[in-house]
Amino acid sequence: MEPLLEVKDLSVHFGNFTALDRVSFTIEQQEIIAVIGPNGSGKTTLLKAILGLIPYDGEIKIFGKKVATVLPQLGYVPQRFAFEKNFPLTVEEFVNLTCRKPDKLPFGGALHAAGMAGLEDKLIGELSGGQLQRVLIAHAMLHQPRILFLDEATSGIDMEGLSDFYSTIQRLNREHGVTIVMVSHEISMIYKFSDRIICLNRDLISHGETKSALTRDVLKKLYGDNVDLKVHSHEGSAS
Amino acid sequence: MIELLQLPFMQRALIAGVVLGVVLAYLGIFVTLRKMAFFSDGVAHAALAGAAIGLLTRVSPLLSALIFSMFLAALIYWLEKKSSLSSDSIIGIIFTSGMALGIVLLSLRRGYQPELIGYLFGNILAIRRQDLILIVVLSLLILAFIVTQKRKLTLLTLDREMAHMAGVHPDLYQLLLYVVLAAALVMGIRILGIILVSAVLILPVSSARLLSRSFKSLILWTIVISETVMIGGLFISYYLNLPSGAVIVLTGSAVFSLAFGANAFLRRKKMKSTRPAGRP
Repeated sequence: MEPLLEVKDLSVHFGNFTALDRVSFTIEQQEIIAVIGPNGSGKTTLLKAILGLIPYDGEIKIFGKKVATVLPQLGYVPQRFAFEKNFPLTVEEFVNLTCRKPDKLPFGGALHAAGMAGLEDKLIGELSGGQLQRVLIAHAMLHQPRILFLDEATSGIDMEGLSDFYSTIQRLNREHGVTIVMVSHEISMIYKFSDRIICLNRDLISHGETKSALTRDVLKKLYGDNVDLKVHSHEGSAS
Repeated sequence: MIELLQLPFMQRALIAGVVLGVVLAYLGIFVTLRKMAFFSDGVAHAALAGAAIGLLTRVSPLLSALIFSMFLAALIYWLEKKSSLSSDSIIGIIFTSGMALGIVLLSLRRGYQPELIGYLFGNILAIRRQDLILIVVLSLLILAFIVTQKRKLTLLTLDREMAHMAGVHPDLYQLLLYVVLAAALVMGIRILGIILVSAVLILPVSSARLLSRSFKSLILWTIVISETVMIGGLFISYYLNLPSGAVIVLTGSAVFSLAFGANAFLRRKKMKSTRPAGRP
């Protein structure tokens, strides 16, 4: 059986700067995979390379095929959605525009499920950061992707919404079989909700099941001694 | 009025104005939202060299300017991809080099240069039959491209990554937009001239933006305003015996001022109605 995602010797260079250096890993099962690492460790670069958004060296296959051929089966919520704030585009127009088959989408229902009902006629430039992020997540889910890539998707979401967000992600994975690959800094949430973890610092530091791979040593390697990370042995929780 | 419409030069002017009004208005939406005003200005100015090549070689100046400008648009795209220079610097270099080349080439011709004035300031009333055919055919082709590729062009304008994820090839569509815009600009030069053509890209959509609450309404308002400005400006310039290009641009400025005033009035009214009672 082909792995869901196969990354082999992936390197990304920006001029003379190496953002990722020969990173290799495979994802075999429909799991929640968290990508962690300090700022500038190449987390966003990894996601962008996988999705074909930036040039890279190495090999990336999804469902055993080149990424370009399986793009309709992938969802992506970027860290920052850098659009012109004066763009007069309503939420409904935005979804219709970005969906390949908008007439087949249960649009209102999805926004309602994401707690965004009633925003259809609002301009995307007038949404708050949290609202925009939730629209982007609802929008990514509308496509019913097989793999959903989330790049710090919880930025702008308040504490109450954070727990809901992770529960939704878990439900998507467990009930609908969507593989989740998420970049996040929320170590405690990752420890609680993710099945596997990829620890990056330009190269691969650690990769495996979250409970065994997310050790104090690994966290020290990633964040140094200055970060107070309480990992209560392998069985405990991290915060 | 009826007599005026029976004049062949006026008929040609109106047809060119109406057709280009839609094309430039539509492209103007992408130009302003993508902040490409300098690109438009640069390509329009550099087109002078293309027109000069046509005048020297006795080929249609409009056709030679079209081919030259489309080549320059592709060159700008290539340099943006391949060099570390900023887009502004690249356009600035092409802009000034093209204009300088045009002036040098035109200086090789002896005597008074009426064509130079025509290209600098435009003259919709001097459009020839063969120019009109080229303008109408090319405008319809560009319009067909924009209408059929509207979703992809809009996605590219909104966000490159979003466009990529939706199955759009961002680089290809950026190149196509550059080339199509260059062609539309050169046709617009016949009406408004090198110096003023960018105004018709920017003024209608800027006015429409003040009146729109969705992308659909932005497109509609932009086209309506552009056509009003083109036709209205043309008639005003004829009756007042003033340069057509300049009058069309001033009509656009007047419409923008009205839209700006209306927008400010409505915003103030809305603020008053939502202010809590008892507060000044």
